[in-house]
Amino acid sequence: MAEEGQVIGVHTVEEWTQHLEKGKESKKLVVVDFTASWCGPCRIMAPIFAELAKKMTEVIFLKVDVDELRTVSEDMGIEAMPTFLFLKDGKEVDKIVGARKDDLQLKIEKHAPATASASA
Amino acid sequence: MAVSGFEGFEKRLELHFFGDDPVKMGLRLMDFGSLEEVLHAVQCTIVSAVGNRFFDAYVLSESSLFVYPTKIIIKTCGTTQLLKSIRPLIHHARKLGLTLCGCRYTRGSFIFPKSQPFPHTSFKEEVIYIEETLPAHLCFRKAAIMPSKLPSHSWHVFSAGDETHYPSDVPYTVEVCMTELDRVLARKFFRRPGDGKNGDSAGKDMTQVTGIDNINPGSIICDFAFDPCGYSMNGIDGDRYSTIHVTPEDGYSYASFECVGSFYDDSDDIIQVLKKAVQVFRPATLSVSTTCTSHDVWTRVARALEPVGLKCRSCVMDEFPAAGSIVFQTFTTRRKYTGKENDDDRGGR
Repeated sequence: MAEEGQVIGVHTVEEWTQHLEKGKESKKLVVVDFTASWCGPCRIMAPIFAELAKKMTEVIFLKVDVDELRTVSEDMGIEAMPTFLFLKDGKEVDKIVGARKDDLQLKIEKHAPATASASA
Repeated sequence: MAVSGFEGFEKRLELHFFGDDPVKMGLRLMDFGSLEEVLHAVQCTIVSAVGNRFFDAYVLSESSLFVYPTKIIIKTCGTTQLLKSIRPLIHHARKLGLTLCGCRYTRGSFIFPKSQPFPHTSFKEEVIYIEETLPAHLCFRKAAIMPSKLPSHSWHVFSAGDETHYPSDVPYTVEVCMTELDRVLARKFFRRPGDGKNGDSAGKDMTQVTGIDNINPGSIICDFAFDPCGYSMNGIDGDRYSTIHVTPEDGYSYASFECVGSFYDDSDDIIQVLKKAVQVFRPATLSVSTTCTSHDVWTRVARALEPVGLKCRSCVMDEFPAAGSIVFQTFTTRRKYTGKENDDDRGGR
């Protein structure tokens, strides 16, 4: 089940579909980190992504391993890692390719709903 | 010419490794702490990064780092102590089951040589330092300074290889060093004060405004704009990288462009890429060093640059262990032609 303040690992296509549905229903921004275990730049961003998840509880943070979920990665057009996809209402509204720390925080703030509330 | 300023000319180090077992991800599995330790020795930090199936590319505070499974390339400018990365890299590679089999160190001539720290105070000191650091089994070694007619542009090379690994059919590397950049074009690499952007988004703007994104439209670009000026980018396209670094200040302006290519590419590709890259900066002087195992590539360089107003002033070639042939050419704009040199005077074999 979704836990606030955590990065959720998505391991199957069913889970992927479920999380997108949840995002649509709750009208929350969904940010997905497409990552690979053998990719150095991904290792840099992992703790930063986790920190943002802790702070911004009104946003859903997902993590997808491109080897584990090859079909989803290909469908979403992932060519380089890390890639951060921003989804709202099940649609892609923005994308960051690469470990761009400053950009990530800025774009989350840009797309997160104005009526953000972090509940306990 | 300024008395002192930021040193744009880079030092470049390329290390090749081999593993006893077939290597899968090799050096890419080096953990972040180890990588930070290596970069700390060199005195630079990671600013941005991206990776794909073939390699990882890092934009550093002072240039770039590329990590392939069995090859690592570090290029740093300013007053970094690049050679101090060799020992920790050999150490961390060994932990991953990898052994060094080739080393190549290259650089142009420093604009401010007196500002360089040990061991970069002279090429002689650099060579002594590398010789002492490399393991004995890299027994074929060579050091040379390749000259040109311009005292400001010489090419310094040290390379070493072992008995069993010789690069065959590897991609060729093209390293371009540009000085005296067009002033108007160089201004595009200054941040506008109060633009409200961060280094990532300002970098992206510079990539588009200057036409750098058009050099190889198929590549994914990782860029960064420094404050108050300066720019770096890495481009990744399959297993190939390209990289650009700009020091735009008047008086010591400098830009570098480096890319790789294959002998099997359409010969027009590298010509188009070089033309576009040089047009971004319109330098008054530039040097090109081509490292390859075949001899053909360097002729394409002249074919790329002469139509854009640059005349070849010198051309020298030499052979190096574990690297192949290196051809070093210098070009200046026609308006710099002083009449002292002979029109057809091209050295080399």
